[in-house]
Amino acid sequence: MKSHLRNLLFRLSLSVVLISVCSSIEAREWTSTDGRKMKAIFLGIEGEKFRFKLASGQDALVPADRFIKADQEAAQRLALIGDDSYTMASARQIDGLLAKQLKANGYSSFNEPLPDDLFVRRVYLDITGRIPTREEFLEFAESAREDKRQALIDELLLSPGYASNMFNYFADMYRLHASDFNNGVRMDPYMQWWRDQLKANRPYDEIVVDMLVAEGNVGQNPAAGFILRDTGMEFDAFSNFGQVMLGIDISCAQCHDHPFEEWTQGDFYQMAAFFGNTQRSIRRYGGGMMSGAVTTMPNAPDNWQRQFQEWAYEEKGVAPPPDNTSNRFRFFVSALGWNVTDNETLETVLPHDFIGSGGKPNEVARPRTLVGAAAKKGGMTRRESVAQWLTAPENPRFALVIANRMWDRAFGRPLVGPVNDFSDDMVTRASQVEALKFVTREMQRVDYDLREFMRILYNTRAYQSLATSEEPDWADAYYFQGPILRRMRAEQAWDSMMVLANGSEIDNKTGADGSLYKKILNIDFNTASNEEVWEHYEAWNSNYGGRVANAVISKETGDWSPTYISDSQLRASELQQPAPAASMLDTFGQSDRRITDDHNYDGSVPQVFALMNGSVTRQLTGSSSKVVYDLEDLDGPDDKVRGVFFTLLNRFPTDEELKLGMGMIEDYGDNGISDLAWALMNSPEFLYIQ
Amino acid sequence: MDHIASLAGNDCQSRRLFMEMSAKLSLGVSLSVPFLPKALKAQDGAKAKNLIYIYLSGGMTHLDTFDPKRGDVMGNSESIDSPVDNMKFGSLLPGLASQADKLAVINSMTSTNGAHEQGQYIMRTGYEKRATIVHPTVGPWVERLLGKRGETLPDSVVIGRSTSNAGFMEPALSPLPIADPSGGVPNTDRIVEGDRFSRRMEMASKLGQQFTEKFRYAGPDSYVEYYQQANQLLNSNALSAFDISRESNQADYGMNRLGQGCLLARRLVENGVRVVEVISGGWDMHVGVDLATRSKLPELDAAVSTLLKDLESRGLLETTLVAIGTEFGRTPDLNMNDGRDHYPAAYSCVLAGGGVKGGTVYGSTDGAGKKVKSDPMKPEDFLATIGYGMGLPLEETIYSPTQRPFTFANHGEPATKLFG
Repeated sequence: MKSHLRNLLFRLSLSVVLISVCSSIEAREWTSTDGRKMKAIFLGIEGEKFRFKLASGQDALVPADRFIKADQEAAQRLALIGDDSYTMASARQIDGLLAKQLKANGYSSFNEPLPDDLFVRRVYLDITGRIPTREEFLEFAESAREDKRQALIDELLLSPGYASNMFNYFADMYRLHASDFNNGVRMDPYMQWWRDQLKANRPYDEIVVDMLVAEGNVGQNPAAGFILRDTGMEFDAFSNFGQVMLGIDISCAQCHDHPFEEWTQGDFYQMAAFFGNTQRSIRRYGGGMMSGAVTTMPNAPDNWQRQFQEWAYEEKGVAPPPDNTSNRFRFFVSALGWNVTDNETLETVLPHDFIGSGGKPNEVARPRTLVGAAAKKGGMTRRESVAQWLTAPENPRFALVIANRMWDRAFGRPLVGPVNDFSDDMVTRASQVEALKFVTREMQRVDYDLREFMRILYNTRAYQSLATSEEPDWADAYYFQGPILRRMRAEQAWDSMMVLANGSEIDNKTGADGSLYKKILNIDFNTASNEEVWEHYEAWNSNYGGRVANAVISKETGDWSPTYISDSQLRASELQQPAPAASMLDTFGQSDRRITDDHNYDGSVPQVFALMNGSVTRQLTGSSSKVVYDLEDLDGPDDKVRGVFFTLLNRFPTDEELKLGMGMIEDYGDNGISDLAWALMNSPEFLYIQ
Repeated sequence: MDHIASLAGNDCQSRRLFMEMSAKLSLGVSLSVPFLPKALKAQDGAKAKNLIYIYLSGGMTHLDTFDPKRGDVMGNSESIDSPVDNMKFGSLLPGLASQADKLAVINSMTSTNGAHEQGQYIMRTGYEKRATIVHPTVGPWVERLLGKRGETLPDSVVIGRSTSNAGFMEPALSPLPIADPSGGVPNTDRIVEGDRFSRRMEMASKLGQQFTEKFRYAGPDSYVEYYQQANQLLNSNALSAFDISRESNQADYGMNRLGQGCLLARRLVENGVRVVEVISGGWDMHVGVDLATRSKLPELDAAVSTLLKDLESRGLLETTLVAIGTEFGRTPDLNMNDGRDHYPAAYSCVLAGGGVKGGTVYGSTDGAGKKVKSDPMKPEDFLATIGYGMGLPLEETIYSPTQRPFTFANHGEPATKLFG
């Protein structure tokens, strides 16, 4: 909650400025148990009392039990998620900016407002990453509350599905992979670190800074996984840094001056030099091609490894190779050594075949920023310096990039794009440039609280419009009269199937968290005794290979004995990252996490086979059909048809659909129900977010 | 600045063309050449119409297989003669040795990639691995350059992988992945049969119509197309092409992934699939190379020698190029574990069929198998040689969606003298 309080203070300090931006700020209406009403901005809960800012500008502290139950609940919610007034004012400001441009370009206004049934499916998919259950659908459809949309958005933003869904997005963007590809170091603790950051709704800028400046191995500091992810491909790692954090694809400047932009090959190496003294292994200096400096082994750390190996041979009888045990031992000692530090003797050196401008072959590149202000250097490591430069208010590009990406998540199209490669010039020419500028400032105002930012977007009229019915061409300007039609991500399709098969409880099930592996690697070899390290090795040895990935240890007891998670009936975010090849997730286009933003939305014949004949479809529509069972208590074929529609498409059937479905049930009884369910799962609508 | 803007303009223009084109292509396998920017013909004289690319993942030892030497570097390995003069083989490859007249052995492979991932990547794509773009493997390249060939079956299949992609090319060009050659295509058993299945399909189509009419997007329409294709596959005998249990000589290939993969590859080629990759692991022999080769080499020998005989007896060898590739060789000097470590400086690959001159040894290494002495061949050259054999336009530039130019095998030099 620290970040929330900080946000609140930040907002209050900015409120004067904000109000001048959003002229239409309105306080919420609060009702007391005796029916009196008051307009006020909610500030927080203090003990048994609520604090408000009144229309007069004064603060007031009112006992909580003075309010009707709905308002008491609203206060609890607002205390968690922030005040409505700012959110709604911001949403309206966005709508105003969009509408102005829409009108200027010949559109009368936004698309028609989204009906309740389409709204509930869309927000469940967009926020929690899965379709709602029939019960969840009905609860919303039957609610008479006036603010039920806003309340549902808030409820979902606070649900575990929100973090799960966010994780899938960032896993694709940051190429989260349980293996580091090169050195046999598992990245499971880094995966879990990401899950934890999103569950805690940690501000995005803080997540980024943690990753950029991390030191140690993934056991000591899981955020180090960001740097270790690309060991051996340091320049590519730097290109990815450019794409995900700055929205610039500079990879071609690695080999020559950029053909379209102003960047030279020299710029590339100077910017890359911020990572030029990052050392990834205690065994070996230098990171391969990143550095032309020392490649021989230094003395101390490597000696420690050798000394420990000798000790283990003497004291514990670890047999010499090729004994299997000694192989495990060798990999253990090696895994401990992949450890991020800064080494001032390392430099980035321009390649011997450097052909561009801004440098000479084999020259040492000094760190220099590619865009915007210069980085401050005093008293900081190079990585600290670039992290500070990146996230400083003077570099709005960082806020713009993440705001634009979050916008893309909500609307299916970014305000400027592609999200990982756009120039400043493209920003200026963006169809909704004012909205883009505004959401960038909003991202800074909410202090990179992504949940609050998404809350603003989901409350816009633009978002709550029907999806645009004609596919807009990428090359043409799009003015955001509504979101575009999107196919579910692989994770959304999978999680929807999981909820169909298991119910909403699936949201609370967790998978392997890398905790045993994290504990095994969490050793400081400078201070640990040989016996202590040996204890870690034994845990490694008894969980060697794939087992360690599924081994979870208890946070309470903290001892070495793990439980093993082998359940595959979990949400995508809780499974191994990425899901195994040929799995349903893989088939539906989950990124294999080799390059950034590589999720695939295309259809394929194997996908169709999975929907037609796969195990979830079988469970729902096979001989003991779950859909038939779930609808047993409903009387009458019309209610049963509606029940099938609520379950699979979360909407009311049209009259014609109702007639068709009832015909099926009249002719074929329960078989007709499961046939109808199969048909809905296998109509294109099932996979789309409209 | 004007200059930059105009370039950016071009960028958008071609990006739109690409999007339009990929939207059309993703409509399905029945669409083909008409949507390619221009019709391309195979180069004259190329005989190979199909490719079976056997990829030995892990790094096949060259000394114990196709480039045997004398002395200490051989460890416990021995060499045998073949019917072809001056063509020697490791003694665990008697079947291949007896068919030496069909083989072109390349003993001068050389690469700079000593890591599996990177080494395999360049051997399968012709490009160095980058973390910012994915390059297509041979299958998508061939379909992109020559146009779609098959009607019901896909043009390319990768066996031994459960996932595949077309790199920066249109996803519709992705090879169909078959993880387990004995498992066939997953999820093809219908939940209900006969009339009831037809009823379900009909209902789905009726209920879907409203949606596809409401939204004029390429995506939903492409699913309609994929449903038709899937239904067609389920109703046709085409899926039986993936069922190797029907083959009488299954055991001759060896009851292991490599053997069964080669059998499936032959069956698919026979049924019209153009490019099949068979990927098989277990070649990373750091420890006890003696023991390891005794288990793996007989597998390789049985699989490939049966494949070649089978193709020949069916009249397919002339039109089917068979390639054996790997990411690197293994150190001539045995390590302390009696194993061999990664050795990219010199290694061996093999070509056969598809117009390749058999009984040929291309390139050579020194007496210890350590250095390439003549006709060095880089991974790009190897793929270019395959492309040449298949008549691909090697200089044809294909642009990625981000406007980066690429050619098949990245300007590798084909070894044209391997073809008759």
